Amino acid sequence: MPDAQTLWLISPELVLAIFGLAILLFAIIWRERVYGALAWVALVGLALALAAAVNLWGAHARLFAGMYAVDMFALFFKIVAPIAGILVVLISMDYLRERTRYRGEFFVLLTFAILAMMMMASSANLLMIFLSIEFLSYMSYLLTGFLREDRKSNEAAIKYLLYGAITSAVMLYGLSLLYGISGSLNLGDVALTFSKSADTSVQTLALVATALVLAGLGFKISLVPFHQWAPDAYEGAPTPVTAFLSVGPKAVGFAVLLRFTLTTLPGLPEFANYWTPLLVIISIATMTLGNLVALRQTNVKRLLAYSSIAQAGYMLIGLVAVNLGGSSPFSGLNGVLIYLFAYLFTNLGAFVCVIAIENATGIVEIPEYAGLVKRAPLVAALFIVFFLSLAGIPPTAGFVGKFFVFGAALREGFLVLAAIGVLNSVISVFYYFGVVRAAFFLEPKDTSPIRVAPLVTLSLVVTAAMVLLIAVYPEPLFNLAAWSMAMLK
Amino acid sequence: MLTVNHLIFLSAILFSIGAVGVLVRRNPLIMFMSIELMLNAVNLAFVAFARYLQNLDGQVFVFLILTVAAAEVAVGLAIIVALFRQRETIDVDEASILKG
Amino acid sequence: MELAIFYLFASIAIVAALGMVVLRNAVHSALSLAVVFVALAALYVLLNAPFIAAAQVMIYAGAILILFVFVIMLLSPRVDQGAGALKWQRPLAALCGLVFAVELAIVAASALLPTERGPFTPERLAEIGDVQAVGALLFTDFLLPFEITSLLLLVAMVGVIVLAKKR
Repeated sequence: MPDAQTLWLISPELVLAIFGLAILLFAIIWRERVYGALAWVALVGLALALAAAVNLWGAHARLFAGMYAVDMFALFFKIVAPIAGILVVLISMDYLRERTRYRGEFFVLLTFAILAMMMMASSANLLMIFLSIEFLSYMSYLLTGFLREDRKSNEAAIKYLLYGAITSAVMLYGLSLLYGISGSLNLGDVALTFSKSADTSVQTLALVATALVLAGLGFKISLVPFHQWAPDAYEGAPTPVTAFLSVGPKAVGFAVLLRFTLTTLPGLPEFANYWTPLLVIISIATMTLGNLVALRQTNVKRLLAYSSIAQAGYMLIGLVAVNLGGSSPFSGLNGVLIYLFAYLFTNLGAFVCVIAIENATGIVEIPEYAGLVKRAPLVAALFIVFFLSLAGIPPTAGFVGKFFVFGAALREGFLVLAAIGVLNSVISVFYYFGVVRAAFFLEPKDTSPIRVAPLVTLSLVVTAAMVLLIAVYPEPLFNLAAWSMAMLK
Repeated sequence: MLTVNHLIFLSAILFSIGAVGVLVRRNPLIMFMSIELMLNAVNLAFVAFARYLQNLDGQVFVFLILTVAAAEVAVGLAIIVALFRQRETIDVDEASILKG
Repeated sequence: MELAIFYLFASIAIVAALGMVVLRNAVHSALSLAVVFVALAALYVLLNAPFIAAAQVMIYAGAILILFVFVIMLLSPRVDQGAGALKWQRPLAALCGLVFAVELAIVAASALLPTERGPFTPERLAEIGDVQAVGALLFTDFLLPFEITSLLLLVAMVGVIVLAKKR
């Protein structure tokens, strides 16, 4: 039986588990009568979990025989996760009302998905990494296919699931090899084995094993060549779920990737010779492919899907250029964290805009956005804010993120990589501008104003405010990122 | 004498057969079965390592993979059933109003 | 003797696995897969893991496979033609082929295991019992994963019911 101290340290997770089960219970007992209220129960649970995570800030402990790390790095993501959850619940309420009878169960799955995100951030053990990734994946498959009368939603779910199951089997193979060469499941012990062993066959095997694990994580982050599921899943899933998928799994996928690589790889210095070029290639491929394919999209959900693939490529630059020694403000790792935080609000905001339009009119094709500025001026204006941020143009949060990521690349001498990153940002302006052009400069066929629901407006205002706030007052975020890396070392 | 290499060799062969099965078959049910075969290959590797390392962590891992695989199959088959309710075949290629 | 048993069940497993991939009829594939499961369970017994062997037969052969067969019968899908692959499968094919080749080369070349050994020698396992040892680990060191699995099963079940139940 875990003691009180342990329970206190996992209080954010416990809160979410309790609220998730409570929502399930209410949904079973009172059915339709309470569905409207269950979203609010979920909101309260997520807010409490957020408060609990903030409250734990500064903690540094290894729980459950060392397999569960509660450190500031994990807590950073435990703050990100419920924020994403709250925004997704806010935009789901109106969207779901017309589309499914099982709104209560939707919020159960969403709450547990956030719980799984938190557990991924804390996993310091191969078994925990596997379990929490699978947990989040199953919740994602179920949420993607949640509109069971909608064929697109079903097909998106089955493609997502088959692809995810294959990559998780591949990743498991890598984990089994890591266990075989180190004799332990703890990341720390695996790292120790790497550093002690001079045997080249062990090192080759370690390289194969880590590459296999990278495949599994690459799937969650949607890195090329493991990205093919993303456009279909994003297009077919209910739009609030798409918004969730584009930020949630990606953020914690990076959390696991960072913890895994930064814990195990320093044990094998010569590893960098293979590892760094591999990551550079993946990063370039991810950015470039995402952006080039996005240029051709006419469906706004698919456009944002490819855009979010490209965004993962930018973030990966931070990992390539990671250098935890020294006191430079560009450590690479802080770039990734700052970028993720900015991306969270930016991308969710862009999806809130999409939902605002889709809810009222069902429109998701870009040509039909014609004259949006006359029909929904606020949404059209905020589209510009979010797109500026996604493209990394000041004064927005996205600029701050790109500044730190590219800065780290320059500092470590990855000039070509940084140049390609900047070039890609320029390309991305074209397709973002395509949406803006339709919204502002084309004549609408239908000029009736679009009514945006109050909760959606609220989330729009909150995300836009955060995007601008991070740009004008980024110091707290810098400190947050700096502290979380200090504790990972 | 039976060594760990024998078992890892077998595991690699089974894993590859599973992988090829996923790649060449288009019936999602068979693809799904092939994925289960891949998971079984991984389980074999874990149990073999656990035996020769004289360390039971691998067995615990396998036990939890078994449990999680059951949940995965349930989720996957539920989605396949929901999809089938919409139409008559379950060939992934024809499942495409979404572009591949 | 040990080696003979290994080769027997290994060849059964490989043949059945190939059968699963090659056979046209989905029910035949499912039955081949059952043979693989049982053959692997036999190997687990050989490897001093009777608990996992029993779980393998109960969960894989008993639960998962039955579910597959039920769905096959429920949907009675058309027999697929088996030719061609989806375009997103090709990069994976290349990856798997590569991994397989590297894997075999390494396995053939190297002694894999670290020199340190854990406390669970076959003699000690025989003395305390495999089931007891694994059970004790599940409720001490691995308590958290165990509890997470129980939550996962519950929530997955809820989702499955929502998706699959009749309206």
